[in-house]
Amino acid sequence: MSRERLHPAVWMTYYLLVLAVAMFYWNPLLQGFALLGGMLYFAAIAGGRAFLSELGFTLPLAVLVAITNPLFSHAGATPLFFMNGNPITLEAVLYGILLAGMILSVLYWCKCLSMVMTTDRLLTLFGGFLPKLALTFSMTLRFFPRLFRQMKAMEAAGKTSGLLADDSFFDRLRGRMKLLPALIGWSLERAMETSASMKARGYGLPGRTNAVCRKMRGEDVVFLAVILLLGGLTLLSGILGDLSFWFYPRISDLPTGGISLMGYVSYGLLCFLPVILEWKEWYQWHLLRKKIPLS
Amino acid sequence: MKGFKKDLLIIFALVLLVAVLILGTDIQSVDEYYLTHIDDIGPDSETVTLSIRCDTVLANLDKLDPALREGGYVPEDGIIFPETKLVLREGDTVFDILSRATRYYRIQMEYQGADETALGTAYVEGLGNLYQFSCGEGSGWIFFVNGKRPSEGASHCKLADGDRIEWIYTCRFGADLPDHYQGVVK
Repeated sequence: MSRERLHPAVWMTYYLLVLAVAMFYWNPLLQGFALLGGMLYFAAIAGGRAFLSELGFTLPLAVLVAITNPLFSHAGATPLFFMNGNPITLEAVLYGILLAGMILSVLYWCKCLSMVMTTDRLLTLFGGFLPKLALTFSMTLRFFPRLFRQMKAMEAAGKTSGLLADDSFFDRLRGRMKLLPALIGWSLERAMETSASMKARGYGLPGRTNAVCRKMRGEDVVFLAVILLLGGLTLLSGILGDLSFWFYPRISDLPTGGISLMGYVSYGLLCFLPVILEWKEWYQWHLLRKKIPLS
Repeated sequence: MKGFKKDLLIIFALVLLVAVLILGTDIQSVDEYYLTHIDDIGPDSETVTLSIRCDTVLANLDKLDPALREGGYVPEDGIIFPETKLVLREGDTVFDILSRATRYYRIQMEYQGADETALGTAYVEGLGNLYQFSCGEGSGWIFFVNGKRPSEGASHCKLADGDRIEWIYTCRFGADLPDHYQGVVK
C-alpha cells in the first residue's frame, strides 16, 4: 500500500499542508475538496464498515454545529425569520454549514493521519531531534483508540457484574457514567507509566539513536516534490488574496480569476492524491489476481 | 417491564422540556418583525430625536473589515440614520427607542438582551451591519444623550421630552470622537 511505501516525512508534509489550508481558508470550494478527499481516503483505508459507523457519529455532530451557529450569530443582511427579537439569517445558516464541513474534514484527515503515522514512523521522523514532541504526539494519536478499547473492556466487566445489566436504557446510561471516572483515572495512569517506562529505557538522552526503518528513496523525493509544488501553489494563490471568501454581511462571490483557478486545481489534486494512489493500487492488485491461473 | 416504564417517563419529561423551550421562543416572520406603523407625532406628544452615525470609520478605512468596504455599508457621509423625531412613550429607555426605530426603518441590529449581559443592560453589537471590532480592536457602538455619555446602560437610561439620542460608532473606545461629546476618556 502506498501509505506504507512512502517515507513518513512525505506523509507528514502532506498532512500539514492539507490541514493548514483546510483550517485557515474559508473558501467553500477548497473546503469541499478537503471534506470529500478526507472522507474518501478514510473510507479507502479504514473500510466501508468503519466509514459508516464513523458517519453515525460525525453526521449528528455536523448537524449540531450547523444548527448552533445561526442561533448564536445573528450577523448577515438576509433575515429568514426572527427569534426572540434577533434575526436568523441566511448568511449565518450557510456559515454554520461550512463550519460543520470544516470540522468534519479536519476530523477525517486527523483520523487518516493517526492511521498512517503509526508510532514507529513518528519515532523515525522526530525521535532523533524532537524526542519529547514525538512521544507526546504518538501518545496523543494513540489515546482515543486505546481509550475506546479500554471502555469496551470495562463495559464488558460492568455487564457481568450487573452494573450495566438493567433493562432501562437510562439506567444503563447512568451505569456508564459511573465507569467514566475509572476510565479517566486509567488513562492518566497509562500516560504516566508510558513516560516512566520510556525514561527507564534512556529515551531522549543525548547520543541515543533511533531505529530508522526507512530511508528516503527516489520515489519519496518525487512525491515530496509534487506535494510541495501543489501545496505551494495553493498557498501562493491564497497569499495573493485570490482565495478569499466571506459570509458577513453578505455572501461574497467565489473568486474565479486565473490565480484562484490555480489554487483550486492544485488543492483539489492535493486532496485527492492519496485516494487516487489507493485506488490505483487496488486496481493493480485485482488485475494481478486475474492473471493467477485458478486451476 | 419496570425499566421500560421508567424510560417512558424520562422520555416524556424530555419532550416536555423541549416543548417548553420551543414555546418560550418567540418566532416572528420578517414582515411581522418589522413594524409597518409607528406612533404618529401629535400636537401634545412627547418626542426625542435619534441619529446613528459612523463618521469615525471614514478616518480609519484601512482598518475596516474588507467585507464592508463595498456595498454601501459605510455611507460616504457617515450617516446611517439621520436625526429623526420619534414619539417618546411613558417609561421609554434609550434601547426601547432604538429598538422601535430599527424595526420601523428596517435597520439591521444585533444585540444581547438585558438578561444576557453581566451588567443587566442590553448591549448593541452591530447596527446597519457594522459590528463591534469591524474597524479595529477598539471599535463598537456607544450612545450619547444630549451630547453626554450617561452612566447607565441603554436599557436603564430613561428619557425626557426633547432629549437628543446619538448612537455613534467609535474606532478607539470613544477617544476618536469630536470634543463636544462628554463622558469619554480622550
